Amino acid sequence: MTINLRALGHKTWRTIASIQTGVVLLILVVILSAVGTIVLQRPATEPDEMQNAYSPQVLRILDAVGLTDVFHAWWFLGLLLMVSLCIVAASIDRFPNSWRYFSRPYKYPDEGFRRVSHPQKSLAIADEESGLVAAERALHSLGFRPERVVREDHFGIFAERHRISELAVYIVHASLLLIFFGTVVDGIWGWRGYLSLSEGQTSNIVELRDGTTRTIPFAIRCDGAGQENYKDGTPKKWWSKLAVVEDGRDVQKKEIVVNDPLLYSGVRFYQSSYGPNGKVKLLLVATPSSGSGGRQEIALAVNDTVPLDADTTVRFAEFFPDFAIREGQVYKKSNYMDNPAAHLVVTSKKAGKDFDVWFPALNEVADNSKAPYQFQATDLEMGHYTGLQVSHEPGQWGVWSGVVLIGVGLAFVFYVVHTRFWVVPVSDPKTGKCSLWIGGSANRNRDAFEQRFNHLVALVEEELKPVPRTSRRKQVATLAGN
Amino acid sequence: MARVKAEQQQPNTGMTLIVLVGLAIAFLLFMAFLNVVKSGNLLNETNLLFATLIFYSGAGALYLGFGVTGTELYVKFASLATGLGLLTNTAAIAHRWYESGHVPFSSVYEMLLSFVWTLAVLTLVAEKKYGVKVIGTVTMPVAIVGVVLMQLLRTDVHPLVPALQSTWLHVHVALAMLAYAACALSFALAMMFLIQDNTKTETFLAVTSASTLAIYAGVVLTRFEKWGGLNLVAWNPEQKSEVFLSRGVRLFVTIPDLGWLMTLTLLVVATPLVFYGLARWKNNDSFLTLANRAVFLSILLQVMALVMFLVRARDGLYPSLDADGLFPTSLAASPFILSGLVGGVFISLLYLLLLWRRPDLARLLPSADNLDRITYKTIGLAFPLLTLMIASGAYWANQTWGSYWSWDPKETWAAITWLVYAGYLHMRVTRGWRGRRAAYFAIIGFAVVMFTFFGVTYLLPGLHAYA
Repeated sequence: MTINLRALGHKTWRTIASIQTGVVLLILVVILSAVGTIVLQRPATEPDEMQNAYSPQVLRILDAVGLTDVFHAWWFLGLLLMVSLCIVAASIDRFPNSWRYFSRPYKYPDEGFRRVSHPQKSLAIADEESGLVAAERALHSLGFRPERVVREDHFGIFAERHRISELAVYIVHASLLLIFFGTVVDGIWGWRGYLSLSEGQTSNIVELRDGTTRTIPFAIRCDGAGQENYKDGTPKKWWSKLAVVEDGRDVQKKEIVVNDPLLYSGVRFYQSSYGPNGKVKLLLVATPSSGSGGRQEIALAVNDTVPLDADTTVRFAEFFPDFAIREGQVYKKSNYMDNPAAHLVVTSKKAGKDFDVWFPALNEVADNSKAPYQFQATDLEMGHYTGLQVSHEPGQWGVWSGVVLIGVGLAFVFYVVHTRFWVVPVSDPKTGKCSLWIGGSANRNRDAFEQRFNHLVALVEEELKPVPRTSRRKQVATLAGN
Repeated sequence: MARVKAEQQQPNTGMTLIVLVGLAIAFLLFMAFLNVVKSGNLLNETNLLFATLIFYSGAGALYLGFGVTGTELYVKFASLATGLGLLTNTAAIAHRWYESGHVPFSSVYEMLLSFVWTLAVLTLVAEKKYGVKVIGTVTMPVAIVGVVLMQLLRTDVHPLVPALQSTWLHVHVALAMLAYAACALSFALAMMFLIQDNTKTETFLAVTSASTLAIYAGVVLTRFEKWGGLNLVAWNPEQKSEVFLSRGVRLFVTIPDLGWLMTLTLLVVATPLVFYGLARWKNNDSFLTLANRAVFLSILLQVMALVMFLVRARDGLYPSLDADGLFPTSLAASPFILSGLVGGVFISLLYLLLLWRRPDLARLLPSADNLDRITYKTIGLAFPLLTLMIASGAYWANQTWGSYWSWDPKETWAAITWLVYAGYLHMRVTRGWRGRRAAYFAIIGFAVVMFTFFGVTYLLPGLHAYA
């Protein structure tokens, strides 16, 4: 039974660590994410837009399966988890081999290896020592540090460079896992929300995505917000002056703009939106219709009531940012401040009734001239809010270190080549003649390596040529200088 | 049979080609001259773009001529033309940069400018360093379509909206353009590998027919209107923008009868595929001869469809189903239909080149092994660039939207692209996938790149609205 279990475990392990499993999982990820970009996603779409796009039955099915929120569905997260598991398993499965390769370099090529190794070259030499010295010089001049390998029954030279390249792919896989880890940390401990502040307002309650709120241990005050435009009217800059208030003191102040958030104790505040908060102040000049009494300047916010004389009051009843008239009634067309209208109600005890006054004058709705006062609007002051995206992402440091590491890893994977050279003096037992066997290998970019190999062989040949004493001494001197 | 005939005409074809190229360049130069006279200013962006178009077209034609005749001299002039095009292209970028005061990476137009630039540079590199001289026959048409698209998408210098005012924009987009151009190159190399790898000519026939079929099916399925009309987006010539009924809803006008022409073309481009299927099913090669004839017919109809589309969409007022009155449209309103139609003609012409000149092409191209290796190298360049592109985008998104990953369609598709190439690398390294399977993978990878670049912007909604 135990043996069976172990066999089963082994089989499971092989399945998880296999490249086939990885590919199947990746294909699934690709298909599901593609579906997630084609089907409208709940988090990014307004509910009524969803209802316009799909019929109720279809929408119910999509919702039930989770296709309207693919990227937060449990099965998608599960799939990503499986991918991570697969990467871990495949890396663990292959790592010991690579590690052996890395930690115990193959320094002396045996005969079998020498027979099949490519590229290779044999050069005739006078004696073993002169051949090895020539090879060492040539390798030195190429920037290698040749090492003499001396065993009981044989000896030779081994030189290599960038052995780390054999492990580069594990750096890439590890950094991927680091990124995944960061996102998981954020998924569990991170949160994102929204905070809307009017000028002068202070708040420490953030509305989260799921509709709940979160109270943060300090408060944010908005000391001002605004928008700057280019000449053609397109927005150039949104800014908010924010202050962090903790224990009643201002501990940090910053003017944030898009792309430049405020960071305080792990919570970031991003400039996200800006606009009128719907609070308006109407500045008016009122003159009595009968002609008795002077001008009065008054300021009204919506629902404010102000006495004009002993018998008369005026109330700012309604405000429409963008109005339309249908059958004598005023409707709100949109929330854009395109075409505003204000509705005042003047109550006169003397006349015992209310008079409607509209700005601008809307004759099909009410006759402004009937009111006991005549009004002239001088200004409409609007209040603004600034919308802040708030986020706490404790895992992002994992993500960024993973990103840096993956860059380094990929650079190693593609551009750092593990090159090895072996030089072995071989003497033919029959003829007694000596030759120098040179072999080399590279773990990638083999065509370019062959050129380097040929270059090395040419250098060794050059060194082997009998040269006048003086110049040889000079060469030795330069070598020693190095 | 056709091959034999064409070979007999070889010297003749070469001469005709030179004359044609000469005439085409002369015509374009004349147009450019008119343009300069009209504007009275030599060094403006329009002229620079036009010059770029002239040089790239000349280069494309010469590369094509090299492909057809194998005359080495053509390549020399072709790379000269590419170099000159590169100069004017650089000047156009510099001009744009100077005008706008920011690195020109903020709209599809501006990004195409640098995409085409990178493509031309890589073409020259592949040609000079790796000796892949025919690469221009594939990359230059892509560059030409890019420049034509630019003429249409040309936008006035827009100031940067707040979200784009970041150094990361430049890093992100520069990496994206480099990566995409490297992907385009690997695609071209993979195609050449398939030619060198003795992939049957009829397979290319099927693929050609299937791609053109996909283009016309896309047009007909999305734009065919009752009674044979073709729906196009209405265009406001004064504001140089599409006409919107309300926020995000475009007004479509219907060009009568053009829908029938598109449907007819759809049927004709499908016939080579049908004959190919018959040849495979009945195991009868005479159907292949029919299929090749059908390709001619399809080119004829495609050119007709393209010309009719050009003529009718350029001027005239057309009715709309959604609003009263007549509205103009413009080529600029339907850049993707236009580039689809132009692309279809190009693909079919490239097939013809292959059909007639296969032995010569095979002689001119590097060996299959070399092509396979260079394809891998370009992907080895593209993949780290893609990775860094995604990473810089994530960092920038974190600065702007407060989240490094929000599964927006563009992000998701960039990740899909990355996964496809990661799959390629894994299959190659661990499974030893070489040659044909690797080439298919490179081709699929590039298709996904193109979808990420264009498809997502125009078909799927999301945060990357400006690009």
